[in-house]
Formats: sequence, structure tokens, C-alpha cells
Amino acid sequence: MDFSFIVMQFLSGLMMATLLFLVASGLTLIFGVGNVFNFAHGSFYMIGAYLAYQTVSVWHTNFWLSVLVASLGAGVLGMLAEALFLRRIYGRADEGGFQILLTYSFILVIDDLVKLIWGTEYKSLARPSGFTGTVELFGLSIPAYNLAIIGIGIVVVIVAWFVLARTRSGRIARAAALDREMLGSLGINVPFTMTLVFGIATAMGGFAGALAAPLRSVSPGAGIEVIIDSLIVVVIGGMGNFWGAWLGALILGEVNSFAVATVPDWASLFNYLVMVLTLIFKPEGLFASRKIRRV
Amino acid sequence: MSRHKFFYVIALALIVALSCPLSVFAQEKVIKIGALYPMTGRAGLYGLDSVDAAEMAIEEINSKGGVNGYKLELTNTDSKAKPDYSVMVAKRYITQDKMHFLFGVVSSAVGLAVTEVSKQYKKIFIGTDHASTQLTTDKFQPYYFRVSNNTFQSMAAGALYLKELQQVKPWQTIAYIGPDYAYGHDQWEELRYNLDRFGVKYKAVGEYWPKLFAPDYTPFITSIINDKPDILVSGFWGGDTVAFIKQAQPYGLFKKTLYFHPDAGGNYELMSAMGTELPEGLVLSARHHNNWPDTALNKEYVEKFFKRTGRYPTYAAEGAYAGIYAIAEAVKKVGNPDDTEALVKALEGLKIQLPEDPEGFTSYIDPATHQVVQVQAIGVTKPNDKYPPAKMMLGDWKIYKAEDLLPPKDYADRQKKK
Repeated sequence: MDFSFIVMQFLSGLMMATLLFLVASGLTLIFGVGNVFNFAHGSFYMIGAYLAYQTVSVWHTNFWLSVLVASLGAGVLGMLAEALFLRRIYGRADEGGFQILLTYSFILVIDDLVKLIWGTEYKSLARPSGFTGTVELFGLSIPAYNLAIIGIGIVVVIVAWFVLARTRSGRIARAAALDREMLGSLGINVPFTMTLVFGIATAMGGFAGALAAPLRSVSPGAGIEVIIDSLIVVVIGGMGNFWGAWLGALILGEVNSFAVATVPDWASLFNYLVMVLTLIFKPEGLFASRKIRRV
Repeated sequence: MSRHKFFYVIALALIVALSCPLSVFAQEKVIKIGALYPMTGRAGLYGLDSVDAAEMAIEEINSKGGVNGYKLELTNTDSKAKPDYSVMVAKRYITQDKMHFLFGVVSSAVGLAVTEVSKQYKKIFIGTDHASTQLTTDKFQPYYFRVSNNTFQSMAAGALYLKELQQVKPWQTIAYIGPDYAYGHDQWEELRYNLDRFGVKYKAVGEYWPKLFAPDYTPFITSIINDKPDILVSGFWGGDTVAFIKQAQPYGLFKKTLYFHPDAGGNYELMSAMGTELPEGLVLSARHHNNWPDTALNKEYVEKFFKRTGRYPTYAAEGAYAGIYAIAEAVKKVGNPDDTEALVKALEGLKIQLPEDPEGFTSYIDPATHQVVQVQAIGVTKPNDKYPPAKMMLGDWKIYKAEDLLPPKDYADRQKKK
């Protein structure tokens, strides 16, 4: 294995990791802040991909505008889902079970909605203009769009960290994760905060879907395929932690990438192996969120 | 009677009325076909196309008065592409709904499960789309018939194509990528078996097994580029093909390596999804093509499907269309849909003219394996916008004779021993 191939495989892993992270970030946000495991997170990712397709291929507008439309659309839909349905089950005994059932039903409903609106044919979206070519880097040709995705991933993790750690809204969100009653008695509108956070999380799903659309096929059922890997990322990184999700995605992406290059017959085993090892040796995840650490 | 009770009675009456199949009321003689196509998820398009094409065939036959006084009737239940669930539905079809034929199935895993039900209850199962060779070789049972090509036939045609190519443009190395389950593994094994059988010399430089429906192929692509194969054989289907090609194209993979995808690569779904993004010069095939053969029957079939649904058919559609005609022909010979053993005899060796048959050839069912015997055409992607939204279609066809693609006599025994 020569050096340039190692660099190439590393970049491939980074690319895979970034897409994993972009999907997982919304999942980890809503888990960390809202204590909700949104099984339907992948469906919001799929909605984002379809909205991007609609904006670019049907309405013929700019790709980056479509990313905005996709994020807003998925965000609004998420807020509706939270305000109309999820809100009703908070605080129930065995809430976790209800969460899974309810959000699983979202998957089925959204899948059928997508089928009604766009049909079952696979849709595809071209890479945006300016990002169709390749960039020469250390004598390697890397697709420009892949590099853009990697860059966007790094920006997202920094912005998310900054908002959560350094701003008032971030503090409110973190407080909601710890003690909702206390937050309410301090005069914060907790139900609205929850709706908003859920909306932001699903908007991040939509954002990921739109960015991934030029690289993947857009089809019904696309949501369920990304959710398992995202869950692994969130478990490795520690539920509710952004840096953890990014690192978890990076580990998964790189392990996968080098497994493919060295032991292709066993490559798909490694995702699970990483998760199992994490669960055995650091069950709270590599970057455990404060709440779990306290317990 | 209180109002409460009244509502119960009405509700009960409604349930009873709705649960009776319509045929109880109609005094018509009916051939009942119980289909199991997936209507959701990634395989949903295959299911939808199959049901549309089957219903199109049924309308054609029924409008001409049906078969021996019988009308055809199709019932589809979403198989969810799940074997255990499909087995349950298949049993219900036979025991409660008194279906005459089991029909359909996209996934080979479901096909292998349903063929066991067919064997147990001695009910004919017409396979229209699933491609695993096992069903007509080592897992063969007398009540199973398949009306579309299996992976062995595609791979035999593929091996012949590669053999001819080697004489024009000497290639040496080959790599494979395909989904990590029976369908993906069978294709690679069958291709190598056929390459050896036809005496082609080659060196395999890489084998890659991504999960079915994996969203990301970048690490596979850069690793394949590092292997520098002359030929990359692909065993994907559906959206996985689309995703792989989109991700590989900017890396320039198709400039250095010939992309060769002889089983499901040439399915119309790929052309319709990718439009101008689809690179030129990929070598693909499928079980039916919208623009080959150039016969009246094929043109009529494709146009009719388009008028009916607003979209051009994927290959799954033609399989289902063929299945309905096979049933109609068999019942015509026997006179009724109830005598299963006579129907089996009628289907064995049945000749049936299908949209995918070129001039001068008629598809037929091999009496020994119950596998339909058909011609296979392999083409190259070229600009062609006659079938929108596709901007590329296949052209420069190479045609392979049906008889050359069958497994040799000892193939089933060889598989059983493994």
C-alpha cells in the first residue's frame, strides 16, 4: 500500500464520515436535549433529499437554495410532528417504548407520502455547478463536491458546538436536557423550546438529505437505510454530544475505508465491531453527555 | 333496539359485506391469481411496474372474452419483501382464498421461501422477476416455473461478451463489486464459472461486498481504482447502481476501467433516474429493454404501458406481463384452472411470443428445469432521448442465442454437492 493510496483512502473515509455525521448530528441533538429517540430521523433526511430534487430538477433553481428549502421544509414538518403528536406522550410511563412506536409510524407515513407525491421511480440530482470537476491535491484528483461536503461538516460541528456551549439559547437547550420543570419555573416556555429544538434537529436531517442527494439515489425507503449507521455513530460518540458524533463518524468512516482496502470480504463487519467494543469498554460513549455521566 | 346496538349491527353487516370477495356475488368463472409484489421501500418500483403490467395483460385477455369462458383476476398483497410474511400470505392465498396460481415476487429470498409453499401444497408458482438460479437448479420443484432469465443466463451472456471483447481489445484483469447477499455472490460465481467454461483467461484483482442499499461507496471506489482492473463487473440492482455510478464518475473510474453490468444494470430505472448524468460507454444489460428488439410486439407493449401509467416500464414489468400470458396459454390448453397436474404438463415446453423476443425467436419453457429460455442482448450507453426522462439508452447491441446461455446438464448436481 503506497502512501498516496493511504491518503486517498483516508479522504474517502473522511467523506463517508462527514455524511454519517451530518445525518447523525440532528439525531444526537434531539436525543441530548429532548431525550427523544427519533427513529424517523432518516425520514426527515429523505424529505430533505426529495425537496432538493423538487427545487432543482422540477423548479429549476439553484442547488444551494434547494438546500435551504430542504432544511426549512424538514424543520417545519418536524415542528408539526412534535407539536401535534410527540408532545402528547412526554412523561408517560414507559415513554421510550411509545417514542419508538410513534416515530416508527412516522417512517411509514412519510414513506407513503413521498410515494404519493413523487412516485416510486428513483430520482437523481446532478452535482451543483462549480462542483462537478475534481481538485488536484498532493497529486491526487478528488471530486470538488466531496471536498465541499467535508468542509461543510467541519463548519457544522464548530457552529453547533459554539451555539450549544456559548450562547443563551444553547444554555436553555442544555438546561432543558437536565431539568425541564426547573426551566419552566424560571419563566422559559418549555413546550415551545422542545418544539423548536425538534424542528432544528429535523432541519439538520433535511440539510443532510439535500447535501447527500447529488451523491445518492433518491427513493422511498432511503430514510430507513441511514438510520442504523447514524445510531451507531451516536452510540459511539455518546448520546447528545456533537464532538462525539463527529469523532464517532470519523472512526466509523476510517475503519470502514481501510477495512474495504485491506480485508474486503469482512468489511461490513467492522461497523458493528466498533460499536460492540465501545459498548463493552465505554458504554456511555466516547464523549458521554453530562447527564449520563451524572447518573 | 338502542342506538348503540343499532350501530353494532350496521358495523357488523358492513364487515361481513366487505370481507366477501366480489366473485361470490358475480357468477363468473374466474382464474384466481395470488400475487406477492413489494409495494414499499426500494423494491416498490419493481412491484408497482409488475402489477401494472400484469393488469394490462389481464385486461387484454379479458377484453377478448377471457380463456375458455374464464376471466383472469389478480390479487396483490404487499410482500414487504419479507420471506416469512410472504409465506404466511401464500398459505392464506391457497387455503382460504382458493387461488389457482401463486405469482410474482421480486426478491430471490422471498422466491426461495414461496417455492417451498408451492411444493408443499402442490400449487403452481409462476416466478416473474427474482433471478436466483437456485430456483430452477438445486432448489427446483415441479410446481415452480420462471418466465424471466436467471442470473446464470445473464452471466453466460456476459462471459461470451467478455470473450469476444478480449479478441478485439485484449484485457487481462477483472474486479467485482456486488451486494453482500446471495444475489451478489451468485453472479460473481456464475460469471467465473462461465468464463472458465468458455476458456477465457483472466486475473481477478479485487472483490468487494458492500451491504445491500449501502448509501456510500467512496472507499470502495478509491480502492477499486487502486486495483487498476481492466473490467469492473457490477452486480448491483436498483438505486445502488445509481448511487455507485454517481459517486464513481467524478473519480474518473469509467475512463480507466470498463464498467460491465450484465444482469440488472441496463434496467430502464437507471436511465430514467440519471438522465444526462449517466456516462457514455457503460456496458449493460437487463431482462427486457424498451428499445430492443425493434419488433411490433415490443413497441406496442412499451407504448401501451406508457399510455396506461405515464412512465416507461422497468424490466420487472415484462416478466409479470409474460407470467399472465403463460397462465392464459396453459389454461387454454387444459380447459380449466383446477387440474394442477395437467397445467404443469401444459406449461412444460410452452412456447410464448413475448415483447423481448427478437424476430424469428419464440421464448419457451424448458421442460427439464421449468426455466424460460430467452435471448439476451447486451448494449452500450449512448445518447438517446426517445424515452424521456432518460437521455441515454443502450445501443450497439450484441445478441446471444438462448440455447448458449443455459447451464450445462451437470450444473444442478454440482451445486447440490456444494
